[in-house]
Amino acid sequence: MKPWRYPARWALFKMDDRLLMMFIGAIVGTCSGFAAVVLNHSLLFLLEWLSQWRQHWWAFILPAIGAALSSLFLEKVVKEGAGHGVPEVIYSVSRYGGLIRLRSTFSRLVSSCLTIGSGGSAGPEAPVVMSGSAIGSNIARFFSLNDRQRVTLVGCGAAGAISSIFNAPIAGIVFTIEVILGEWTALNIIPIAIAAVAGTEISRALQGNQIVFSHKVFDIDMGDILASIGVAVFTAAASILLTHGLRSMHKISGKVRAPLWIRAAIGGSMVGIIGLFLPVVLGEGYHSVHTMIEGNFSSGLAFVAIACLTKILATSLTLGWGGSGGIFAPCLVIGSLVGLAYHRALSMLWPSVDWVNEGCFALLGMAGLISGMLQAPLTGIFLIVEITGGYAVILPLIMVSAISATLCHYIEPSSFYLKELVDRGHLLRPGTDARVLSDLNIKELLETDCVCVSQNMSLRDFVKIVETSRRNYYPVENDETGEFVGMLHLDDIRPYLFNRMLYDAVLVGQIMNPHVETVLPDEDLSKILRKMDSQRLFSMPVVVNNRFVGMISKATLLDKYRKELMVQTSF
Amino acid sequence: MKLTIDEVAQCLDVPLSTVERWIRQGRIPVGKSGGECIFQKPILEVWAKKHNISLTLSDKKVKKHSQDKPVNLFNAMALGGVYYDIEGDSVSEVLESALKNIAFLDQDEKETLWVKLLEREEMASTGIGRGIAIPHPRTPLDESMEEPVIVTCFLKNPVDYRAVDGFPVFVLFILLSPSVKTHLHLLSRLAFCVRDASFVDFLKGIPDRERLMEKVENLEYAS
Repeated sequence: MKPWRYPARWALFKMDDRLLMMFIGAIVGTCSGFAAVVLNHSLLFLLEWLSQWRQHWWAFILPAIGAALSSLFLEKVVKEGAGHGVPEVIYSVSRYGGLIRLRSTFSRLVSSCLTIGSGGSAGPEAPVVMSGSAIGSNIARFFSLNDRQRVTLVGCGAAGAISSIFNAPIAGIVFTIEVILGEWTALNIIPIAIAAVAGTEISRALQGNQIVFSHKVFDIDMGDILASIGVAVFTAAASILLTHGLRSMHKISGKVRAPLWIRAAIGGSMVGIIGLFLPVVLGEGYHSVHTMIEGNFSSGLAFVAIACLTKILATSLTLGWGGSGGIFAPCLVIGSLVGLAYHRALSMLWPSVDWVNEGCFALLGMAGLISGMLQAPLTGIFLIVEITGGYAVILPLIMVSAISATLCHYIEPSSFYLKELVDRGHLLRPGTDARVLSDLNIKELLETDCVCVSQNMSLRDFVKIVETSRRNYYPVENDETGEFVGMLHLDDIRPYLFNRMLYDAVLVGQIMNPHVETVLPDEDLSKILRKMDSQRLFSMPVVVNNRFVGMISKATLLDKYRKELMVQTSF
Repeated sequence: MKLTIDEVAQCLDVPLSTVERWIRQGRIPVGKSGGECIFQKPILEVWAKKHNISLTLSDKKVKKHSQDKPVNLFNAMALGGVYYDIEGDSVSEVLESALKNIAFLDQDEKETLWVKLLEREEMASTGIGRGIAIPHPRTPLDESMEEPVIVTCFLKNPVDYRAVDGFPVFVLFILLSPSVKTHLHLLSRLAFCVRDASFVDFLKGIPDRERLMEKVENLEYAS
C-alpha cells in the first residue's frame, strides 16, 4: 500500500477534508485547463492545415471526412456514444457518484477536434467539459475518495475546463453549479472556485490573458434596454428552433439504414455544401462573432437573417447526424447573428432613433441564446460579461437572459442538456424525491420478520402462529417446493376466527390471496411506489425465483426515506 | 470511544447496507484503520446533531433482555407455593387468611395487597368459572418484585365469589407480577390450563403439592 495514494489519511487532511478537496481541486483544475488549451491549439492547427484546400470545389467533402472519422473513432476505438457528453456527465454525477471512464478524458477531445477542425458546425466546450469531468473523476478514483468528494472533483474538472477555454473563471463556477451539479453547498463551492482559478491561470499562462471578444465602449440608454426585450423574444425563438432542429435531425438520421460513420459523413457533406456558399457557418465560428461584436460585420439584414437560419441548420446537421461537439460555440454565433439582425431591423424601422452600436445587440443575442438553450440564465449572464469584458451592458444582459430563459422554459420545460435525461427519468438532482428513491434500494428496506406459513396448514395451527407473531401479513409457501404461492392477511381470517368449528375445516391455502402483486429486489423504487399507490397497497412481498424474501412497506419506507433525506440535505 | 460499523447501524436503526452505502457516498464521517471502518463517537454525535438524526447508543439492549425473559407458569407457581385449608366464609375473609400464609411479604405489604385485591374484586369478580378464581391487583406491585409469583390456595369451604357462572369457588390462584406484560402472559397461560376440564377435575380432588406441580409441569411443557 503506497501512502501517497491515500491523501485522506495524511495528517494535514485528516482534520478536515475541505483542505484535501481544495488541494486536489487545484490539481484537477490545472489538468482540465491543460486539456482545454490542448484542444484549442489542435483545433487551430487543424484549421490552418486544412485551409490550403478549402478554396477547391470539392472542399465540401472535408467536413464529411472529419465527421466520419470522429464517428468511427467514437464507435470503434473508444466505444462511446456520439453527442457532446454533458448529459452523460450529469447522469453519472447523480446516479453513479461521478464515476466516468478513463478513456472519456480524451475521447471527446479527439472526436470533436476532428469534427470541428474539418469544418463541422459545433463547439469545443462541451467535449472539454466532458474530458475535464473525466479527469476529475479519475483523479478522485486514483486517490480512492468517496462519492461526495468525487462529485465535487467532477465539478472541479468542468469548472476548470470552461474557465480555461473562455478565460472566464466565474462562468466556469456558475456553469458547474447551475448545470452540472445542480447543487450549491458550502462544501463544493470552494474547491470548484479554486479549480476555476487554476484552469484560468493555465490558460492565461499558455495563451496570454486576452478577453476573447473585446469590443468598443457601448453607451446604453433606456430605449436600448426596452429594445433588448425584443432580442430576448427572438433569441428564445432561435433557441427553440435550434433545439427542435437538432432533435428532428437526430430522428431523421436515425431512420437512415447505414452505419453511424456513413450517417455522420452524409451530415458532414451537407454542411460542407452549405459552407461552399456561406463559409460563415463552418467551424466554431468565433472569428465571425469577433467581427460582429466589434461592429464590423458589413452584410445587410437579409444576409444576416439567412446566415442565422443556415447556421442553425448546419449545427443541426453536424450534431444531429452524428458529428461530435458541443452547442456552446454555435449558440454564440447564432446569438450574435440574431442580435445583429434585430439591430438591422430596428434601424430600418426607426432610422431616426440613435440606437447603440450593433455589437451590443450581438452580445445580448449571445447571452439570450446561451440562457435559452441551457435554461441557465446565470451562466449566460456571467459568461457573456466575462468573455466580452463588458460589464457596462449588464442591465440589458440580465433582462435578456432572464426573459429568454423563461420563454424557453415555458415552451420547452427541460433544457437541451437535460431533455434526454428527463425523458428517460434519469434527472436526479440532489435533495429531490427521485434522487432519494434512487439511492435507497429494496435490500435496505426489506422487512424480514415475517413468519412464513405452509399452504396446507389448518386454521387452528395458523391461529397459534398469529398469537406469537407481530405482523399482520403472512406469506404462504408451498410445502414441498418452498415456492411462494400467496399472501394471507389477518383480515382474511377474521370471518373464521371466532368460529372454532371451522378451525380444522379451513386450510390456509383456501383463504389466502393467491393473486398478489410481487416485486423484485432490483426493481425501481419509484415504480413500486406508483404500483402501491395505484392499487392502494400498503405493503408488498418481495419475491425472487418464486421464493419469498421479505416484505416492503410504506411505513419502513417513510422511516428510511426521511433518514436518507436528512443525511443527503442539510449541511 | 470507537464504534464499529455494526454498532453504528444499530445506533442509527438502519440496515448495515445503508451504512455501507453512506460510507461509500461520503455521507457519514468515518475513519479507516487497516481495512476496518472505525467511527469516533463524538464526531458521529456532532454529525447526527447537524443532520437532526437520532443516535441511540446501545444500553437499551441490555434492559430489553431482562424484560423479555420468558416467564413460566411452573416457575411462578413453584415460587408462590401451595397452601391448603384456607378459612373464611366471604371474599374478604378468604383473601385475608390466604395472605397470612404468604411468607415473602411483611405485614404492611400484606395489608396494602389485601386492599388492592379487594378493590379489584369490587370492580368485577375474578372468579373465572368452574370454581376457580384468580385474584390479582389492578396495577403491578412496586418494582421490588423481580419474579412473578402465583400463590395457590385451596379453600376449606367453597365460597360464593360472585363468579361468572355462579359456582362457589374452591381454589384461588393469587397472581402477583412485576409488570403488566408478565401478568397478562401468566393470565393467558393459567386460563389455558383451567380451560381443560380434566385439569379442573384434578384440582377438585385437592391434589398434594408434588402431584399438582408435576401436573402443571406436564401441561406447561406439553404445549
